[in-house]
Amino acid sequence: MKIYALLAATAFVASPAIAQVMSAPEYVATAGASDLYERTSAQTVLETTANPAIRSFATMMLRAHQQSTDMVKAAAMQAHVPVDPPMLTPTQDEMITELRSETGPARDAAYVAQQRAAHGQALTIQKAYAASGTVAPLQVAAAKIVPIVQMHIAMLMKM
Amino acid sequence: MKLISIKSLGVVASFALGCSLSTLAVAQSATNIAPPPPPPAVSTMPAKPAADMEAVLDAHAALGAKPIETLTPVAARIQPSAADATKALMRAKRISTAPDPAVVTQDIAYGGDAMQYARIYKPAAPRGNGPMPVVVYYHGGGFVIADVNTYDAAPRLLSKQLGAIVVSVEYRHAPEFRFPAQHDDAASAYRWVLQNAASWGGDPARIALAGESAGGNLAVATAIYARDHRLMLPLHILAVYPIANSSKTLPSRVDSANAKPLNAAMLDWFGYYYTRTTTDLMDPRLNLVKADLRGLPPATIVNAQIDPLRSDGETLAQMMRAAGDTVEQRTFPGVTHEFFGMAKVVRGAANANDYAVQRLQAAFSAR
Repeated sequence: MKIYALLAATAFVASPAIAQVMSAPEYVATAGASDLYERTSAQTVLETTANPAIRSFATMMLRAHQQSTDMVKAAAMQAHVPVDPPMLTPTQDEMITELRSETGPARDAAYVAQQRAAHGQALTIQKAYAASGTVAPLQVAAAKIVPIVQMHIAMLMKM
Repeated sequence: MKLISIKSLGVVASFALGCSLSTLAVAQSATNIAPPPPPPAVSTMPAKPAADMEAVLDAHAALGAKPIETLTPVAARIQPSAADATKALMRAKRISTAPDPAVVTQDIAYGGDAMQYARIYKPAAPRGNGPMPVVVYYHGGGFVIADVNTYDAAPRLLSKQLGAIVVSVEYRHAPEFRFPAQHDDAASAYRWVLQNAASWGGDPARIALAGESAGGNLAVATAIYARDHRLMLPLHILAVYPIANSSKTLPSRVDSANAKPLNAAMLDWFGYYYTRTTTDLMDPRLNLVKADLRGLPPATIVNAQIDPLRSDGETLAQMMRAAGDTVEQRTFPGVTHEFFGMAKVVRGAANANDYAVQRLQAAFSAR
């Protein structure tokens, strides 16, 4: 009994507040919106780019962010978490409009700038859910997506 | 009682397992720590912003920005920023939101952690053949949110207007890494710039420190570090609405308690996540007004009228002058926190940018 209390006190010191991770439906919706933004922005830049590096990166993003959506969807179904069709947030919707408002190399540059910010946010979400998500299959999916997003960030650092 | 203990043991067991499997996972779970209880409400309403500033705040609300002080760090990091709102307004006014191609960038690591890298801004067409002056710039975000991507406007503009290399330093964020990790990274990045500036075409004898908000704090704290460690001092410090005073009774903490996009509750929220204990707030690296400020380089402090951090900059200027430093401080009317990156759509921001550029230009050309 005393040992239990001591251990509990130790845990409290190491982990100062109760974790309040996003709910499974919130995670599914947030990850789905992030992937939808990725695919939509990739399509938008592919319509106009003359830059082979951008073309190759955007083509890879189309594929990778369909795969991550499929992974999260499969995990959600396994855990009986409902999956609604993804919807862009107002900010993501605005970012797509901004891309469409640019032409030529300016659109390429805007795309890369947006990608850097968006991948940083995607990594934040996936790492947080992988660390303390409450639905195991989704947690596993998030943990698998983390290194993929990190690889995209490494590629963006060289662009 | 027994039940509670057993449940606690379960928490301990899974926590210990998490530790042994991956310390990274534990660090990341910190971003899910529940927010602190809100501070007592203050009824004072902030001054009315200028119409162009108000338009940015409206655009921010239209993007669905939630109150940061009610969120976990992970949720806060995916909120629309003031920079997002600025771009939305630019787009609506048919101003391009694409990065200005007059400046090119390159990301280079200065440490082993993924966050320890810097974005180096260089004019695409340098003005002459000689080495360029260098500005080491630290971004804002209360040490918890935002990154070098969020704060692109100021370093890009400084590089273009000054014909300078601007090194925008990313650093480890709290709560994964709490104070003084950010100050340690800021200092090691400064050392790294001193050693490497020449290889990028920079003039190591002409270096300035700059930053916004939490980054304004890092700029001043890093100058103090340079003095204390006998490193080459920067020629100038540009601190834009720095975090500099831990007093809770400063005039701006009350008159701008309910300002946007930064309010007094958010300041508490940031402190809750970036400090290890509340005594950290009294550390002179955070509470700069109580630091030894003697022998620092000339400084320019820029503040916004409608900002809970306004008094930080004003009191820091007083304390630096009292310590014998040369300081100019200006508070720009009708604007709020974060205005410095809004020059394309906010007149007061363009004025503040011009002022900062002129001050840095003078510092670099005096050399």
